[in-house]
Amino acid sequence: MTLRRAAAAACVVGVAIAAYLTYVHYSHTAPVCTTGGCETVQKSKYAELAGIPVALLGLVAYVVLLGLSLVRGVDAALVGVFVAAVGVAFSAYLLWAQLGPIGAICQWCIANDVTITVVAVLYVARMLTERPA
Amino acid sequence: MERNRLLLVAGAIVAAVVVVVVIVVVAGSGSKSTSTTTAPPVTTTGSGGSGTEAQSTFAGVPQHGDTLGKPTAGATLAVYEDPQCPYCQQWNIDTLPTVVQNYVRTGRLKVVYHGVVIIGTNSVNGLRAIYAAGLQNKLWNMNEALYERQGDENSGWITIGLIKQAAREVGANAAKLIADADSATVTKELRRSEAAAEAINLNGTPTFTIQKTLGQEQQLSVAGLEPNDFTSALDAALQ
Repeated sequence: MTLRRAAAAACVVGVAIAAYLTYVHYSHTAPVCTTGGCETVQKSKYAELAGIPVALLGLVAYVVLLGLSLVRGVDAALVGVFVAAVGVAFSAYLLWAQLGPIGAICQWCIANDVTITVVAVLYVARMLTERPA
Repeated sequence: MERNRLLLVAGAIVAAVVVVVVIVVVAGSGSKSTSTTTAPPVTTTGSGGSGTEAQSTFAGVPQHGDTLGKPTAGATLAVYEDPQCPYCQQWNIDTLPTVVQNYVRTGRLKVVYHGVVIIGTNSVNGLRAIYAAGLQNKLWNMNEALYERQGDENSGWITIGLIKQAAREVGANAAKLIADADSATVTKELRRSEAAAEAINLNGTPTFTIQKTLGQEQQLSVAGLEPNDFTSALDAALQ
């Protein structure tokens, strides 16, 4: 129960970050930024995947993970591990893009990287300790 | 029991990594590419957007005609581009904001636009609109606004309607811009740009040249169009 609550809390943070970046994308405004590179990252080709904003994909993933945190059982935990691992892997790819080809760092992306990693760790811990539903 | 769950976790993580690799590779290969430019063979995806983004890139930066930046800047970066060129779009969307932020706003560089027709006749409509926007000192805003709407090469995407919409979004007087697009002044600008392109033996877009104060105009050789690749070449040329 504690792990599910912790995962839910982390997912809420993730939803907030992803929702803000999705809003910024569709409203064509510049994100609040202290690292100076947010707009460059936001305008880069890496900000979209097959025409879909990656922020929106992240928002959908966090909503799914939030929903799974409300469901008991090993099956829900396993699906959560998979979705969170996809999130971590994709975040790693985007971090590589920021450090390499783009050459700019977005603080919101870093905040998301930390959040999705925390969510993934919590889901793995949950998967290893969850009682069958 | 414990061992089974560890295997399930490992399997889920491996599957997730495979899924991400496949998605990145498939999405990358589905991106727009072209063979009519001289840029490195990188791919780019079209991006939606509006003149609001263009305004935020250039907000507060002096613009006069085809020139972006302070007239007293220590060096001039000339950009030869075609509004239909996908690599030009990539550079303007991905890299120009960094160049503006780190070089133009700091007074190290001014950027001069040279529009040329490389892809096809529809480019002329775009170039006329861009140079007409220059008469309102909004050339760079208009240029970016058109790239944000870029369609397939020679599909006829640069229409009067699209130009009007882009002009309004960048805060230009759309009616004046349309009228100016066919003016002798804009025709003269196109000829001037064409002559400049011939002078450097231009054979593709985007092409960049750099000229330091009292120096010769020299072609800027870049390894790629992303910010890091471009600014590395720029830093070397400015030394």
